Amino acid sequence: MARRIGVFVCHCGVNIAGVVDVERVAEELRKYPGVAFATTYQYMCSDPGQNLIRQKIEEENLDAVIIAACSPAMHEETFRSVCKEFFNPYRCEMANIREQCSWVHDKKEATEKAIKLVKATVEKLRGNEDLMPIFVPIEKKCLVIGGGIAGIQAALDIADAGYKVILVEKEASIGGRMAQLSETFPTLDCSQCILTPKMVAVARHPNIKLMAYSEVIDISGYVGNFDVKILKKPRYVDEDACTVCGDCEKACPVIIPNEFDMEKKPRKAIYIPFPQAVPSTYTIDREACLGLAPLTCAQCKDACEANAINYDMQPKIVEERVGAIIVATGYDLYDKNKLVEYGYGEDDDIITSLEFERMLSASGPTGGEIIKPSTGKVPKKVVFIQCAGSRDKQHMPYCSSICCMYTAKHALLYKHHVPDGEAYIFYIDIRATGKNYEEFIARVMEEERINYIRGKVAKIYREGDKIVVWGVDTLTGKKVEIKADLVVLAMAIVGRKETKEIAKLLKVAVDDGNFLKESHPKLKPVEALSRGIYFAGCAQSPKDIPAAVAQASAAASKVLAIFSKDKLEKDPLVAVVDEDRCSGCGVCVSICPYGAMQRQPNGKAKCIEALCEGCGTCAAACPSNNIEMRNYKDEQIEKMIEVIV
Amino acid sequence: MKYWVKKELKPPHGKVYIIKDRCKGCGFCIEFCPQGVLQESEEFNAKGYHPPKLVETDDKKCIGCGFCSLICPEFAIHIEKEEEEKDEKAD
Repeated sequence: MARRIGVFVCHCGVNIAGVVDVERVAEELRKYPGVAFATTYQYMCSDPGQNLIRQKIEEENLDAVIIAACSPAMHEETFRSVCKEFFNPYRCEMANIREQCSWVHDKKEATEKAIKLVKATVEKLRGNEDLMPIFVPIEKKCLVIGGGIAGIQAALDIADAGYKVILVEKEASIGGRMAQLSETFPTLDCSQCILTPKMVAVARHPNIKLMAYSEVIDISGYVGNFDVKILKKPRYVDEDACTVCGDCEKACPVIIPNEFDMEKKPRKAIYIPFPQAVPSTYTIDREACLGLAPLTCAQCKDACEANAINYDMQPKIVEERVGAIIVATGYDLYDKNKLVEYGYGEDDDIITSLEFERMLSASGPTGGEIIKPSTGKVPKKVVFIQCAGSRDKQHMPYCSSICCMYTAKHALLYKHHVPDGEAYIFYIDIRATGKNYEEFIARVMEEERINYIRGKVAKIYREGDKIVVWGVDTLTGKKVEIKADLVVLAMAIVGRKETKEIAKLLKVAVDDGNFLKESHPKLKPVEALSRGIYFAGCAQSPKDIPAAVAQASAAASKVLAIFSKDKLEKDPLVAVVDEDRCSGCGVCVSICPYGAMQRQPNGKAKCIEALCEGCGTCAAACPSNNIEMRNYKDEQIEKMIEVIV
Repeated sequence: MKYWVKKELKPPHGKVYIIKDRCKGCGFCIEFCPQGVLQESEEFNAKGYHPPKLVETDDKKCIGCGFCSLICPEFAIHIEKEEEEKDEKAD
């Protein structure tokens, strides 16, 4: 394999050249067997740098190229596409002499190491095969998991572009958290008024198959070809026949709390979570219903004139093949029972932010009136506590991002409802970074005369019909004691526990807060590590509505980029199993983080190339050493080690 | 206050009548009552069986579905639905 290898050493300004003696690296490499040419340049990735490579390949008749520069994660694509014009792109390799050398070593050692790294790359390059990209067919249909604002937006964007979407929602209606909110900051427009048109658009869109009251129970496959199983839970009411007249609800004798109203308003066992629900239909709560045997209690069925109720409905499993998946499973509030310092939130007059949101809502339990829950009277003194569970090492260490804004909104709305009331807000810092957010906070502070107290609350306890709040004002250094009628906790936001289950099915990591882990925190904030899986909304991190909508559209555009092609091109650096020698032990099958290793009917392992990300875990784990990574073969790696050691 | 509503929803009530001496202790009513209103009593009836009794002294939990009277093989139990007018008077 006598090749004429060209070595191009990059200065990267002073990033490399300031530490590594680049001229010496080139000089040493010129003497190395197989290397026909070596030079240096200021910025290899610049246009003149790329042109230099082109020119030298022609002049020196090179048939392989090494760029000694930054990490291949940065510019491998750039240089391979240059080389593609002349020969197979897998004859181009990068030696990382920046991140793994000049940035972490001192001058003398760095130069020595750089020389070794480039020489090792020469050895690897000599063992490289010419590879062709793998092509994978695509099913141009997208699965969106979660029907909140993020899921709705993503589904609409993809459907508007002309592709089919399956929108799966666990609850009886789409709408999610946004449907529960009263008004949205900073413009104070009614949350439902701006959300419901989108919900209706989803229901009407010919490209969207809405599967509410359903759950994703199994996902297998890979980008372009995911096989999904969706459990359609029985509503016991025919969605199309139900006219939402409400006669069944009147007849139903079972009364239980409505989850949509944070359990502060009663509902019947046959219910519609809120009037604008989509799909617009009643649902029988299987747990609460007296018995689905019509003999026991059939009062709803007797009352239903449309004859929409069917107690014999069965759960159904629907199988679908999709090309891409968007996870938009949303958030939950941190469990207030874990907040020891705030009385475990057991008191009627200590409520969470979402409960207060329902209280403010015109369709909520109080019809929009603000009350002190223990007495039903108007509260004259309200204390809002920010960061309840957030920015707290004992609870959740992160900032929940939206609490500063919605607490300001809460206080403002309280003052509008109760002009002679007093509102206090305990805060650590005010984080109002969105567009027009700071102006909103200033308006609340100045015009509405809300008392902002910088400091944390140490203790809350009941004294008679008042809730006593002990805190400290860290700006004056004085202790504060407020006898309040109502305390509202701005609870930390956590990912839903269902997110964890979905993440498990998708083999995506979640962090301590149950938030999905993105591929790159800055440059790939909507992508999962596995291709074809994208995130939107609070499932990935706490965020406000505009950010959730933006991320949903971003995820949709990523899906559309996949769907714009007829076949997917994939890096062919995958695992290859020597089937003749495979003993069928299955270690690789169980260890593969991408589910790419599968057992064939004959018991032997097989690599699904479309799934394989080339991580090499299987190759390392195979007890009989029968798995090799293309272009990372054992002999290549051994030779590299020899040069370095 | 469990619910924040001004007018609480009131479930319908049924009054349970047990004709003790007809009971032959099959236990169907106890087994199938969806609200779990009934339990076996310790007393004996004329036939020597234990007739059912209410779990709680008042029968507030009974919502008057009437399933017990429907399945009782001896026609020993029946329900009278309490009319809602009463509630309105109480309001």
